[in-house]
Amino acid sequence: MTNQNNPPKPNQEYILETKHFSFWVDRVQILNDISFAVKRGDFLSIVGPNGAGKSTLIKCLLRLHQRGRSTGSVTVEGLNLNSYTQKQLAKVVSYVPQAGGWIPPFTVRDFAKLSRFPHASTVSGLSPSDELAVDQALETVGLTNMAKRSLKTMSGGERQKAYLAAALAQGSDIMLLDEPAASLDPRHASDLATLLTKLNQETNLTVIMITHDLNHPLKTGGLALVLAGGERRYFGPASGLLENGVLEKAFQHEFLYLDHPYGQGRLVVAR
Amino acid sequence: MNVSLRITLLIVLSLLVLAICPFFGLTFISPAVLTVPDHQDAELFWRLRLPRTVAAFLAGAGLSMGGMIFQALFRNPLATPFTLGVSSGASFGASVYFWVSGAFLVKVGSLGPLFASLLGAFLSMFLVWSITSSRGGFQTAIMLLAGVVINFFFSSLVLFVQYISNANDSLRIMHWLMGSLANLETARLAELAFVVIMGGVFVMSLAPQIDLLTAGEELAASRGVKLKTLKIEIFVVASVIVGTVVSLAGPIGFVGLMVPHACRLMLGWNHRSLTPTVFFVGGAFLCLCDLASRLILAPAELPIGIVTALLGGPFFLWILFRTNSAGDLF
Repeated sequence: MTNQNNPPKPNQEYILETKHFSFWVDRVQILNDISFAVKRGDFLSIVGPNGAGKSTLIKCLLRLHQRGRSTGSVTVEGLNLNSYTQKQLAKVVSYVPQAGGWIPPFTVRDFAKLSRFPHASTVSGLSPSDELAVDQALETVGLTNMAKRSLKTMSGGERQKAYLAAALAQGSDIMLLDEPAASLDPRHASDLATLLTKLNQETNLTVIMITHDLNHPLKTGGLALVLAGGERRYFGPASGLLENGVLEKAFQHEFLYLDHPYGQGRLVVAR
Repeated sequence: MNVSLRITLLIVLSLLVLAICPFFGLTFISPAVLTVPDHQDAELFWRLRLPRTVAAFLAGAGLSMGGMIFQALFRNPLATPFTLGVSSGASFGASVYFWVSGAFLVKVGSLGPLFASLLGAFLSMFLVWSITSSRGGFQTAIMLLAGVVINFFFSSLVLFVQYISNANDSLRIMHWLMGSLANLETARLAELAFVVIMGGVFVMSLAPQIDLLTAGEELAASRGVKLKTLKIEIFVVASVIVGTVVSLAGPIGFVGLMVPHACRLMLGWNHRSLTPTVFFVGGAFLCLCDLASRLILAPAELPIGIVTALLGGPFFLWILFRTNSAGDLF
């Protein structure tokens, strides 16, 4: 990634900040001039239609792309993203991938242990403090009694919790999640959302999550970033999603806005 | 039985096989005669049987480790140490050597085919490397496709060389392709040992990263693995080990498929435990295959590649028909 426009400036106000970030793979531009910033303990929901560039953005923040070039800057904990080694970055930012596809051939605990790689030494392996971090992560998501289950034999909902536990075990300040609740039933999706909100509020974990559940950011508050066609359509408080036809323009679709029957703000439903 | 006990047991058993194998063959050599000076059997033991068993052990260890890391890299149970075309490159090199030396009446020493096949192995490595890097990012899918293409390409060239050679050279080529430990000179053992053992140590140092790679490339990168570097390291170390083994012993198939598979069934996917186990079990397995190859048609000798291939078929049928609790192969 190049950094012509914005020389790195330590900026501790924001834990993660992108400025005029654009990204190309070959000659195809996927992201165009994306700017946003989150503070420590923020909960940012990224919403937008399929193909908007949401996953690409998350992967850029994690430097998962094996090809492609970018302009603009990304700052993580005050330092330019490019100044991190992959290991250093993994200590600061953790990742929960989209569900589905290849299921790793590990038990829940062994899988979570893999996340301690950035902390462990190559020679001696995991230390007792690494093991403790793994146990705590499993306890937080409520999988302690399933620690020895193989990921392959779990239901989708349980497996997603195991992924969350693995990301927690990484012990980072920022967690990026790519549609963690996709393909989960309503109960498991709601469990996961509740768990994330709790983690965010109680441990001050900064959460950046791609979601298709527009009501989640409305319910929990926090920030929202709307992407469409690789461009930023809205960035600000989640309540702003209800105004000025933000969603209509981004999704090219009509929405109904309803009052929550129990007085918990408003609900949005695709028409 | 817990995992570390299983590992210990497997390694002890493998060392036992390594220790016992040289005593068996066409005739049994009594351990009592080993220290008797100028005894015919002692001579046979020290000069022929022991070096050959050690060679089989090292070749088996190298091929099995190569298979293990390629299967992890491609997350595919059918990946073999030969998937990326190293062995067909080596075969091509050896074939050309036999053809040229036959045509120009050059005397065939053992160093000739060795260097020719090593050259062929490096040529195929270089081609796979160039194709993969030209598309940027050293992507696994591109590497796999490049490997398959190079494999086919060199295999066809081997057939071509075989076709234009005379019957004598063609036979020599065919023999080489079946793989054999019979012509491996004791002088080459040190080189083989160096490459395989150093390779093993290096693979061991990569073990935590290989574990992460089996969990998925993006996941590995998000946990701090430098993907491109790791993939290049795996590619190079496997190719060098396998290229060396193939140059010395010919393309002995199926070892690199069967051994890692069997070890994973017993130990799971932790490469810290898997690497040493695969190393020793692979070595012991090929020692036994070598023993079988010397006994089945005794006093004649069956090429070892035929023995491993005969075992490989049924093994895969068994894999295919067995299902684990998750109902999949891997």
